[in-house]
Amino acid sequence: MRGRAGRWLLLIPVVAYSVFSAGPYVWTAMMSLRTTDEIYRSHYGLPIPAHWEKYHRAWTEFGYATYFRNSAIVTVAAVALVTVLGAMAAFVFARRRYAFPGREPLFLLVFLSIMFPPQIMLLALFQILVQYKLFNTLTGLVLVYVATELPLTIYLLRAFFAQIPTELEEAARIDGCGDWRLFWRVMLPMALPAVATTVILNFIYFWNEFLYAVVFITRQQSRTLPLAIQFLVSDQYFDIGMLATGLMIATLPVLVLYLFLSEWFVKGMTAGAIKG
Amino acid sequence: MSADPAGRAAALPRLGARAATRRAGPRRPWVAIGVFLGPTLLLYFAFAIYPVLVTFYNSVHTLRMDLGMVYEFVGLEHFREILTSDEVFWKAAANSLTWGLVAPIVDIPLALGLALVLHARVPFARFFRTVWFTPVLMSYPVVGVIWLWVYNYDWGMANLVLRAVGLGSHAQAWLASPTTALPALILVTTWMFAGFNMVVLLAAIHAIPGDYLDAARVDGAGAARRTIHVLVPLLRPTLVNLAILDFIGKMKQFALVWVMTRGGPMWGTETVATYVVKRAFEWKTLDLGYPSAVAVLWFVIIFGLSYVFMRLLQRREALEF
Repeated sequence: MRGRAGRWLLLIPVVAYSVFSAGPYVWTAMMSLRTTDEIYRSHYGLPIPAHWEKYHRAWTEFGYATYFRNSAIVTVAAVALVTVLGAMAAFVFARRRYAFPGREPLFLLVFLSIMFPPQIMLLALFQILVQYKLFNTLTGLVLVYVATELPLTIYLLRAFFAQIPTELEEAARIDGCGDWRLFWRVMLPMALPAVATTVILNFIYFWNEFLYAVVFITRQQSRTLPLAIQFLVSDQYFDIGMLATGLMIATLPVLVLYLFLSEWFVKGMTAGAIKG
Repeated sequence: MSADPAGRAAALPRLGARAATRRAGPRRPWVAIGVFLGPTLLLYFAFAIYPVLVTFYNSVHTLRMDLGMVYEFVGLEHFREILTSDEVFWKAAANSLTWGLVAPIVDIPLALGLALVLHARVPFARFFRTVWFTPVLMSYPVVGVIWLWVYNYDWGMANLVLRAVGLGSHAQAWLASPTTALPALILVTTWMFAGFNMVVLLAAIHAIPGDYLDAARVDGAGAARRTIHVLVPLLRPTLVNLAILDFIGKMKQFALVWVMTRGGPMWGTETVATYVVKRAFEWKTLDLGYPSAVAVLWFVIIFGLSYVFMRLLQRREALEF
């Protein structure tokens, strides 16, 4: 803070850290546009000419269309479910009107389970999914994802619903709103900023999830992107160029959204910091 | 002030509250509660609470997948075996614990340093924040593959940098040696989460009322002293939270290891989480009971240690104030 020179001097460590931070992914992005032959000739060359057709090839010839579709289905379905169910539950946990006996202990249980390590459920979930013929299905994966993210979603939305003044609720009731309409027409629209936060948080978590996917999905056609990449590393170990393209395909949806909504992303991710 | 109005004022809300509870009592909207909460509770109990209970149940049984999943009660036998004669478990536990303890010690001060630098109004601060935050948005498999390349012996960035600065003799296959593989992986998680922790700290810094720093400035404290003696102590609760979350996150680390080293070389990067999965699905034992016992034991250890750290760090905090 000692004048301008000091501020510019701070740029030295800042730029140094940025090279460390951005170097690996910028390098990968460049390799995604170069052929493997070009890469083996020089690993750090610029992507000139840029081989955009590699993205098309990855999509059509290397199965990324299928993996992307699976990831999209799982992520969209799980986000939609966890948002609607979580918001409805958070509403009941937050508002005085629904204070049934045992509500607070129940909420405490939900809250504590936010930090459960997945291993404590993993093998039993495997058993349960096999038993109910949900093993190797995207449906099974969605149900598990929803259950694991419900606690954090409820926790974050409950805090928001609890802040909405009672007067508003009463006014809506006098206008003839029942519980159902009160929630959908009044409460949920007011909670949209908080809902957006959880949507982003859950979107990133589901899109990137690996542990449950690797245990519950063994069929190639049902693989999500993180799973596909793990297999492609061993299958095409030497086709670095194509693998780099795949990594970018798996990351781009999140990165593009991040560029446009970076404030919301930061908000959403840090709200989830409670989970770590 | 006479006692009367105060007494009446105090009595009023109490009366109101009693009336409200009486009104809410018989007309509790059970239908609405059921509709709103029912589906969530169903899913949550079926796919979260029930599996936890099943894991505990499994941990005192053997459950052979090749023998039609027949339960055979063994009591605490699995736990005895884990603690007395399972060398792989102890290796995995040591690795996970190392990761869990080293990561916060490296990550949190680094993140604090980055946050303080950005807070000092470095030019283009928003741009740098965006760049540093990006790694945490990638999935572990993506990060894992990128870092497999970074650590490549012939053309990876790590050795490239070493050779460029004249330390070429230190260039090595980082993931191939049991002594360097784990530190190499720890660096990857630091790379991933430093920007994220930095952003959380930056938000906490912005939330500190300017008066505190102004008061210190008036007292003649320079920038460095204001930072060390005012800012950092005020950030302590956030720092403690981030450190504990970092610890928990690393204690359950699975994905990065699975993609990059599969626990090798020579169990050098095996974590408890990867051991649980291997023991359940890759070992010829085909028993779900034993790995469940490992999971239960590790769950208890993570919670126990987190609790201890929380108490320790918070008590010191209380003493300082």
